[in-house]
Amino acid sequence: MGDILLMTVVGILVVFIALAILVFAFIGFGKLSNKSFSLKRKKTVTDTETVATEKKIISGPEVAAIAMALHLFLSDEHDEESNVITIKRIERRYSPWNSKIYGMRNLIR
Amino acid sequence: MNRKIKRFTFTLLLISLFSVMQVFGQNSGTGNAILESLNTFWASTGFANFAFKNLSMIAVGIIFIILAVKKGWEPLLLVPIGFGMIVGNIPFTTGYEIGIYEEGSVLNILYSGVVKGWYPPLVFLGIGAMTDFSSLISNPKLMLLGAAAQIGIFLTFLGAFAIGFTPQQAGAIGIIGGADGPTAIFLASKLAPEMIGTIAVTAYSYMALIPLLQPPVMRLLTTKKERVIRMKPPRAVSKTEKIAFPIIGLILTAFISPSALPLLGMLFLGNLLKESTVTERLAETARFALINSITIILGFTVGASTQADRFITWDSLKIFGLGALSFIIATASGVLFAKIMNLFLKEGNKVNPLIGSAGVSAVPAAARVSQEQGLQADRTNHLLMHAMAPNVAGVIGSAVAAGILLSLLT
Repeated sequence: MGDILLMTVVGILVVFIALAILVFAFIGFGKLSNKSFSLKRKKTVTDTETVATEKKIISGPEVAAIAMALHLFLSDEHDEESNVITIKRIERRYSPWNSKIYGMRNLIR
Repeated sequence: MNRKIKRFTFTLLLISLFSVMQVFGQNSGTGNAILESLNTFWASTGFANFAFKNLSMIAVGIIFIILAVKKGWEPLLLVPIGFGMIVGNIPFTTGYEIGIYEEGSVLNILYSGVVKGWYPPLVFLGIGAMTDFSSLISNPKLMLLGAAAQIGIFLTFLGAFAIGFTPQQAGAIGIIGGADGPTAIFLASKLAPEMIGTIAVTAYSYMALIPLLQPPVMRLLTTKKERVIRMKPPRAVSKTEKIAFPIIGLILTAFISPSALPLLGMLFLGNLLKESTVTERLAETARFALINSITIILGFTVGASTQADRFITWDSLKIFGLGALSFIIATASGVLFAKIMNLFLKEGNKVNPLIGSAGVSAVPAAARVSQEQGLQADRTNHLLMHAMAPNVAGVIGSAVAAGILLSLLT
């Protein structure tokens, strides 16, 4: 019974140690990953800041044009096409309402 | 009128059949040959080999199916196991390579994956490909709750030894407290192969009963004030962290407990397939086709292995009792450990003790129980994401515990 009791204690301890090591490893890894992420972010922010100070301010219409182009590009607005290629013949009834002939003076011969 | 004609024709047919049989019997000179062959046939039917033990196991199988269909308790497991129980308890004459314990039979070949322990790692591959470890990575300290719930395994091991099981059998019984079917089967196949059926059925039955077993223990051990503790939302986890987790996790855990390598290796491989995002096809196969196929065969053969003559014994009853005890101890350990953690944590960083119970694997049923209990205490407090952390840590913890028991007891 003594051995079994010892095994029980050892077993519980080893499970705790294994998972505690994982805990510390991932707390450390998380901090490291956060640090590198914030460093990257800082770098990109300072880069854009220097670019912004170097360049002159973009005018309103230019901003609108860029925004529109981005909007069209990102939303990829395009007509839904049926992909069926046919020539549709549109039949219209004869209507003389805008016929040129009625808008011209009839010459008397 | 029509009925009378039908009856008359039927009687005429029977008489002519018997007279033909009589003539055939007299002519062949064997007399009772047909009756003998009929007797032989009768002897091979289930009716002749019938025993009430079989009927009771068939009834248990039907109850499993009803619970799965009506109550929705772990249907993916209980339906194949329940049906397997019915198949395994149809009485038959041995010697025709039919039964699951007859060498060379189809069922025996399918069952070899359970006996040799190669189904559980494949299930773990699928679990790894399904599981999102983000909540665990974002709050690693919750992993300790997964470790605390494994106390159930070791205390049951102690209890099983105390009531007369051998150390190996006690280890295999103790792992039921891990609430992890594949791990239980894996360890039982190595330590006590004669008990696989009982241990697997016990583990899966109690996993299905988690919504009934855990809530009373959770309510008993927590105060109303503790149940309404709100936890900080988990932070966003980067892709690098998600990819690094299975690699670092495997190296750290498998070096400590190499005996659990088949389980841990497959679990973390499945997770890497998912998180790397470049092996989506493989991850999809692991999380759908592979795990589904193995679950069907595993559940069915485990159910079929519960043949009444082998299953209904005093030892099985003891294992059932110990199984319930181990689930209760595991749940209580998780909840109590969360309360102990709170003693050392600052206000605002406290842990809701209800998520401690999710440390017993049983993904995601145990986490769902935490969520439900949390909602009962406060309708706006959602604990599911937080409970998933100890829940998946429990999977790792129970695999490590199985590895430790394996190395200590073999």
